[in-house]
Amino acid sequence: MLKEVHNCLLCQKPLQTQVSWLTFFERFPPIICADCEGKFELSADTDPDHRSLYQYNEPMKDFLHRYKFLYDVVLAKVFQRKLHDLLKNEKRIIVAVPMHPEKLLERTFSPVEELLNAAKISYTPLLEKTTTDTQSKKTREERLNTPQLFRTAGEVKAAHYVVFDDIYTTGTTIEHAKRALLEAGAKSVASVTLIRG
Amino acid sequence: MRTKKSSSFQKYKGFLLEPSIQNFFTGRIWARETTPFPKEKIDIYIKRGLLKIKPAIGEGPVCHRCLNKEKKQFIFYHCARCQKVCTYCRYCIQMGRMSSCTELLTWNGPLPKLNSYHSLVWKSRFTPLQEKVSIELTESIKQGRSHLVSAVCGAGKTEILFTAIHDALNEKKRVCVATPRTDVVLELAPRFAEVFPQTTVQALYGGAPQSCMYAPLIIATTHQLYRFEQAFDIMIVDEADAFPYTYDASLQQAVQKAKKEQAPIAFVTATPTSELLELKKTGGYSFIPSRYHGHPLPVPRFSSLWGYDKSIKKKRIPKKLKEWTEKRIAENEPFLIFFPTIELMQQAIPLFRQLDSKIEAVHAEDSDRKEKVLHLRNREIKGLLTTTILERGITIKNVQVAVVGAESKIFTASALIQISGRVGRNKDFPAGDIVFFHHGMTVEMDMAQEEIKRLNKEGFPSA
Ligand SMILES: [Zn+2]
Ligand SMILES: [Zn+2]
Ligand SMILES: [Zn+2]
Repeated sequence: MLKEVHNCLLCQKPLQTQVSWLTFFERFPPIICADCEGKFELSADTDPDHRSLYQYNEPMKDFLHRYKFLYDVVLAKVFQRKLHDLLKNEKRIIVAVPMHPEKLLERTFSPVEELLNAAKISYTPLLEKTTTDTQSKKTREERLNTPQLFRTAGEVKAAHYVVFDDIYTTGTTIEHAKRALLEAGAKSVASVTLIRG
Repeated sequence: MRTKKSSSFQKYKGFLLEPSIQNFFTGRIWARETTPFPKEKIDIYIKRGLLKIKPAIGEGPVCHRCLNKEKKQFIFYHCARCQKVCTYCRYCIQMGRMSSCTELLTWNGPLPKLNSYHSLVWKSRFTPLQEKVSIELTESIKQGRSHLVSAVCGAGKTEILFTAIHDALNEKKRVCVATPRTDVVLELAPRFAEVFPQTTVQALYGGAPQSCMYAPLIIATTHQLYRFEQAFDIMIVDEADAFPYTYDASLQQAVQKAKKEQAPIAFVTATPTSELLELKKTGGYSFIPSRYHGHPLPVPRFSSLWGYDKSIKKKRIPKKLKEWTEKRIAENEPFLIFFPTIELMQQAIPLFRQLDSKIEAVHAEDSDRKEKVLHLRNREIKGLLTTTILERGITIKNVQVAVVGAESKIFTASALIQISGRVGRNKDFPAGDIVFFHHGMTVEMDMAQEEIKRLNKEGFPSA
C-alpha cells in the first residue's frame, strides 16, 4: 500500500503511517508522534459542570506558547481527535469563548475557535468580549471585582449550553461567560476547556 | 563595547537622520511590527523612501527571512487581519511568525559614518604555526577569497582570527563571526570586546538584549543571520561543522543571504566535513594539527558500562561511573559527564547529588546554563551533567570528562572528537581523563579515537 511520510507537527520527527484503505474512513490521521502525544497529561476531572481534557504541564506550556504566542495556527490540529470524541455527541449548544475584535486583529486568529474548527465541532457565536484586558495580568482582588467581560450577541434561547475555552485557570473567564448566558435566559450552562491550569 | 561619540546627525535630502534608526536598520531585514522604534517614526522613514518594504512571504511561496521554499513548511489559513487566505512560514517561526501580511523593512538610506580606526589590544603569543595560519587567513581575506581553517580543539582558533578582523575593520568593513551555538557566542563576544576595545561588538542570540548601535563586528548564532541581508563584507563561520549547521541547508543559505555577494567566507573548524574540504580546491586552506601549548590531544579510552540506563532507572549509578565520579570529587577536579538524553540525565541527577550536593545538570532549554558553566569554571560546584549542548566552545581548566552511553546515535564521531577536545586545554593541565562509557562499541567511537591519534601523529611526527 501507499506509504506516506509526514512529520510530527510538534517535534518534526518523521511519522511513518501506513496509508491503507482504512485511512480513508479515518477523519483525523495521526499528526503528532507517540512520544509527543505521551507527554500530555490527561485530566482526571469528574466535575459534571466543568470538564477539562488535559492537565497543565511543561509540554502543554510549550504547546500554548507555540500556538497562542508564536501564532502557529496549524497546531490547532494537535488535539482535534480528542476534542472531536469529547464533543461529537454533545446535545447542548456549544458557545466558544470569544476574543475582543482588536485582539483578534492582532493575533490574526482565534485560538479557541480554531481548536473547535480543527475538531470539526460546530458552535454558535453568542458572546462578545467587551474588554481588551487579559485576566492573567490581574491580581486576585482585581479579578473578583472585574465588571462583566462579555455581552450576549443575538438571541439566547431557553436551552442548555456549554461554553468552551482553551484553558481554565482562575475560572473568572468561564464564570463571566456562564453568567452572561444565564442572565440572557439560558436554562443551564456547563463548561469545557482543553486544559485545566 | 563602545563607539567614538558620533559627531553629528547625518543629513539626507534635507532630512535629519536619527542615528539610532540608521544604525539599527543598516544591513538588517526586520518585521515592521516589531521594530524598537515608535510606529509613527517608522512610517515617516517609509514615506521618505529611507526604508523599503517587502512582503515577508513571496511568490512560490518563499520566506524572505529564512529563504525557506519547502512546501510542507508553509501553512495556509484564513487570516483575520488580512481577511483572506494567508500563508506563514513554520521554518523560522521561533523568531516571530512571518506571514503574507507581515512586512519586512530594509534600509534604503545612506550608510552610517564609519570609524576607520580600531585598536587591537592583544599581545601575540603565537606559536610559529598559529602565526603562519593567521597570515594565510589574512591574505585570503584581503584577496576576497574564502578560506578553510582546520584546527584541532584547543589550537587557539579565536586568536588566529584577530589580525584578519582587525585589518578588515580598519578598512571600514563589517565583519560577522557566526556560530551555530549560543554558548559559543557567549564565550566569544567578551573576548572580542576585550581585544577590540574601541569597536562596538554586538552579541546576537535568541533573547539577547537589543541595541541600536551600529556594530562593525557582530558575533551571532547562525539563526540570527536570518535578520540580515547583504550586510557583511567578511563572514567567519566558527565551528562550521557543528550540529545543526551541517544538516541545515537553510542555515547555510542564511550565511549566504547575510553577507554581501562578493564577501569571502572563512570556515573555522576542528572537524571539517568532506564537503568543506572541497574548499581546498578553490579557496585558501590552513591546518593546525597541534594545540597551542604544544601537548598532544588526550586520547579517549573506552570502558564498558553494560545496562547503564536500566541501572540508572533503578536509581543506582553503575559502579565504574560512580567510582570515576568519586575519584574526581576526592581529587578536587572539575568534571563534565555527557548523557545521550535529557530524560536519562534527569533520572541520574538526584543520584549524583547523593555523592555530592554540588553537582548540577544542564541542557539546551536550561535558562541557567550560562551561570552553571560559570560556577563550574569558578569551582563553586564540583561537576556538571550535560547533554551534547556543551560539546564545544567551553573551556574549563583541568576538566575531566566522561561520556555515558557513548554508543548512542547522538554521539557521532565529530561530537565525540569535540567532547574529547574539552580536556587538557590549559597549559598547566595539558592532560586529563576522557572516557567513553558504553554499552557496546560503535564505528563512530572508533573513528573518533583514530582521528585524534592521527592528529597527534601529524602534530608530533617524531613521537
Ligand atoms: Zn513528536
Ligand atoms: Zn521563514
Ligand atoms: Zn494575513
